[in-house]
Amino acid sequence: MSEGVVARLRQRLRHQADLGEVLAGGWTGLGPSELAVRPVYLEGSGTVPLGELFDLRGEPAGRIRFEGDLARADRLAAGLAEGEVIVEGSVGAQAGLGMAGGTLRIQGSAGPLAGAAGPAARRGMTGGELIIRGSAGAETGARMRRGLLAIGGQAEAYAGHAMIAGTILIFGDAGPDVGLWSKRGSVVALGAIEIPATYRYACTYRPAHLGLTLTRLRARYGLPVKKRHFAGRYHRYSGDLADLGKGEILEWTAE
Amino acid sequence: MNLRGVFIEDTFAEAFTMRVARILITGRSARWAREAALNLTGFATSVIGCKCEAAIERELPLRESPDGRPGISVLFMTMGKDDMGKRLIERIGQTVLTCPTTACYDGLPEAPDRVGVGSALRHFGDGFQISKVLGGERFWRIPVMEGEFLVQEKFGMQKGVGGGNFLILARSADAALEAAEAAVDAMSSRTGVILPFPGGVVRSGSKVGSLRSKTMIASTNDAYCPTLRAVTTSALPEQVNSVLEIVINGTDAPAISAAMRAGIDAACRDGVLAISAGNYNGKLGPHHFHLREIMGGGEPA
Repeated sequence: MSEGVVARLRQRLRHQADLGEVLAGGWTGLGPSELAVRPVYLEGSGTVPLGELFDLRGEPAGRIRFEGDLARADRLAAGLAEGEVIVEGSVGAQAGLGMAGGTLRIQGSAGPLAGAAGPAARRGMTGGELIIRGSAGAETGARMRRGLLAIGGQAEAYAGHAMIAGTILIFGDAGPDVGLWSKRGSVVALGAIEIPATYRYACTYRPAHLGLTLTRLRARYGLPVKKRHFAGRYHRYSGDLADLGKGEILEWTAE
Repeated sequence: MNLRGVFIEDTFAEAFTMRVARILITGRSARWAREAALNLTGFATSVIGCKCEAAIERELPLRESPDGRPGISVLFMTMGKDDMGKRLIERIGQTVLTCPTTACYDGLPEAPDRVGVGSALRHFGDGFQISKVLGGERFWRIPVMEGEFLVQEKFGMQKGVGGGNFLILARSADAALEAAEAAVDAMSSRTGVILPFPGGVVRSGSKVGSLRSKTMIASTNDAYCPTLRAVTTSALPEQVNSVLEIVINGTDAPAISAAMRAGIDAACRDGVLAISAGNYNGKLGPHHFHLREIMGGGEPA
């Protein structure tokens, strides 16, 4: 099986780069030469073709792998609707912004607003799977409507802010105000979390759907799922009761 | 053809095309997964009286379990597409939803025909149910007094084969039962195959229709009843005093052939005089399993 297209950063980014147009719409049938002409907005230089910043090789196979330090690359895989995107390192802000399908795997950390909604958008990601092996910046998954967002490390403040639906799993510690103003959706905290005052405790139990999700995350993405995550129980908190209140926070407990 | 002194008759089993779904049930322990599976597949021996045929296919190794818990795979069969949804909703709703700790998943994800099950059962949640989409498949979390019941929205369905069979003609009832038990042991836990009758064995093989009633669609297979040898046109060789049947359903004909081969081989033991099979002269079912061909000793009849 072909590894698809590989995009290797030619040299370190000195300014912020907006990659929001690179994988929007259909891209899985495009080869390196076609992807190379997709526009990137480079701070200080204006619009440049992707090929000017990245060396692209390989062949279309529904997958693209980004190599190099992309900490200054924003909006990578924004609007993603298909295929598999793998980022070998960390990325900047708004990765997977409003993505609707496909898979975005970030092997490092992500800046703020990964999987969230754009400034003028009502909804964040509406489908697909966004996997961040490292930590995630503030407001990750804000206003997400559907899909699975997994964070292997810590999540900064306001993860799942105003969620409409979907699932966020946080393997590390969660920052303050997780799930604030959520309507529906699930935030699963496998590390420490401070439950917002507008959530109310319901029960402690073993949700079967988490076994399904954790099995998939371990098998498909190699995330650090432990036996205790399956064997433990979860405190269920309903909220945000200041809004619709049909969401939940599931807090792992060894009890 | 003889196998260890047992005569293999030159005949064939005649089987029908059915619809099959594979249901995966997991539970907190193997005990509860099995409990739900046994209830789901109870009273499901024959479509004649039960509207479906079902049985446990095998236990799932943990690596194959959808949610990492002990699991059981069930094959569930109906005659038509329309029946499948009705029967699954009835039975999963009454036997798996009600069973502590269990969850229920589709075991034929590649099958293009999909039948809604969780999409109907979710209404038991009375508006409190929660939907989750994972890997493109929707699941329903239905709140119940114990916690939650998780069920997949749609289940795959494909063509399968029902009614593969062979008959064990033995010198005594004890010998027939021992041979049947050995055959069942050899055929159980094979992927793609179930034995829907009690313990995998049928003692009451039937013929189509009735000699006396126009309304009965099936009645006792008098030609194979030892007690009627003197008063009917018997098909039994001399010295045969008991006959048991093994009925095999499966996802496809090769799976049934392989299971029949293993079962017949195990059944050929002391006290067994012949192996035969039930058919309707090839007029009713498109799948013909020729015993001698299956056992590697003859050409198709």
